Amino acid sequence: MFIKAIYKYGDKMNFFKKTDLLIIATILIVSALSFGIYQLFLGGSAARAEIYYEGELVESIRLERGEEKEFSVPEAPSVVFHLWPDCTISFSQSDCPDQVCVHAGRIGTVGEFAACLPNKLVLKIVSDGKDEKEAPDIVIGN
Amino acid sequence: MSKKILCFFMIVLITVSLFGCGKPSLNRYEAQYLDVFDTATFVISYNDSQETFDAQTRLIHEELMKYHKYYDIYNDYEGINNIKTINDNAGIAPVKVDSAIIELLLFAKKMYQLTDGKTNVALGSVLKIWHQYREEGLEDPAKAKLPSLQELQDAALHTDINDVMIDEKESTVYLKDPLMRLDVGAIAKGYATERVSMLAKEQGFQSGLISVGGNVRVIGMKGDTGELWNVAVQNPDTENTEKPYLHLVNITDHSLVTSGDYIRYYVVDGVRYHHIIDPVTLYPSAYAVSVTIVCKDSGVADALSTALFNMSYEEGLSLIEGITDTEAMWILPSGEEKFSSGFEELMTK
Repeated sequence: MFIKAIYKYGDKMNFFKKTDLLIIATILIVSALSFGIYQLFLGGSAARAEIYYEGELVESIRLERGEEKEFSVPEAPSVVFHLWPDCTISFSQSDCPDQVCVHAGRIGTVGEFAACLPNKLVLKIVSDGKDEKEAPDIVIGN
Repeated sequence: MSKKILCFFMIVLITVSLFGCGKPSLNRYEAQYLDVFDTATFVISYNDSQETFDAQTRLIHEELMKYHKYYDIYNDYEGINNIKTINDNAGIAPVKVDSAIIELLLFAKKMYQLTDGKTNVALGSVLKIWHQYREEGLEDPAKAKLPSLQELQDAALHTDINDVMIDEKESTVYLKDPLMRLDVGAIAKGYATERVSMLAKEQGFQSGLISVGGNVRVIGMKGDTGELWNVAVQNPDTENTEKPYLHLVNITDHSLVTSGDYIRYYVVDGVRYHHIIDPVTLYPSAYAVSVTIVCKDSGVADALSTALFNMSYEEGLSLIEGITDTEAMWILPSGEEKFSSGFEELMTK
């Protein structure tokens, strides 16, 4: 049937009508624009920040663009976390002497982590949904 | 008719995407610990069930805890002779220890030879001074001080690794010099990570990643996807949120270890002093901001990352190029990145 079809239109090689191409192009442009708008205003980073106390998950926050706040978890009230508008999060204050958690800075990429040993806290960034092939499994520094 | 052709292509496309989205049979599991080697430990694995993963992580955690106690230089544990026990008996008597300690110290001597003394577990007397000043400086930043060169030079007289007497037959270790102290911080985490990873692999941990404070060991591929593990090297500029990591390194059945100067430090008169001490100058090493090693054995990677941190890029490059299946990446104080000949092949382009 397809061979017939190609044969039938073969002399002009005209598989698609102009309107079909127009519809396809419109769909592609609208999709690209919606994706862009979604990513820019609503999409955030598709990542979550998880906070663990003694190995147990005690807080999980979606990293949303534009959102900013400081907060603590009940298990460690002397530690303050800062959620930044650019989808990053950090230990902003801690009563630990070495300040290693604060020195770790702002993190927001899947695979990044920061830890405060004296307060038994781990802050790590995980994917909010699908596994991305090119995402780091872990980000290593020292 | 063109509509029919379009329809056919759409059906093909939908069918392909449906098959493409088929879920892999193994799930990803993660666990973390903060109670071994004074650092954060992460275990990631692709497994068929939470129960299997829990059993594997229990074994990994127990084993790491065992090595943590053996290699501890600050604390005593009931019924265990550890590195601290050896230090406490320096110049007094040989100490009977577990084979895990004998093997670590034999490995340490090998690494000393390989790195021309740049990784020296017998540097404890010097490192102890820095540790003390750092702790005091962190406790009360206004009173943070630097040790004097004289104090450090006096301690450096007691760092000859040949004074570490290992009796394999008797399973004892004796420090001939009474003022000598062992500090295995530069190799113990990596060595333990390697041993634990190999044991876990034997017990069925076939697709996983173990990271003990920046000592990463990966086993197999990521589940049944056939994908390599992606280990990212952090950007030393930790405030740069646009570029949190510099490079993504793709590995399987290898280790990646990074030594850096930008997280663990204390500040004296506005200047940062980090924790990796150059055995020549006796002050924090200034050759690099971060050094990353990729090789099979995590213990070797750990020892080499410290050694390269304590030598110039040129010396380090010449050392690395002479060791098979071993690559390095430097971030120099200028911010410039340098790579050994095969490192860039491991990176995601």
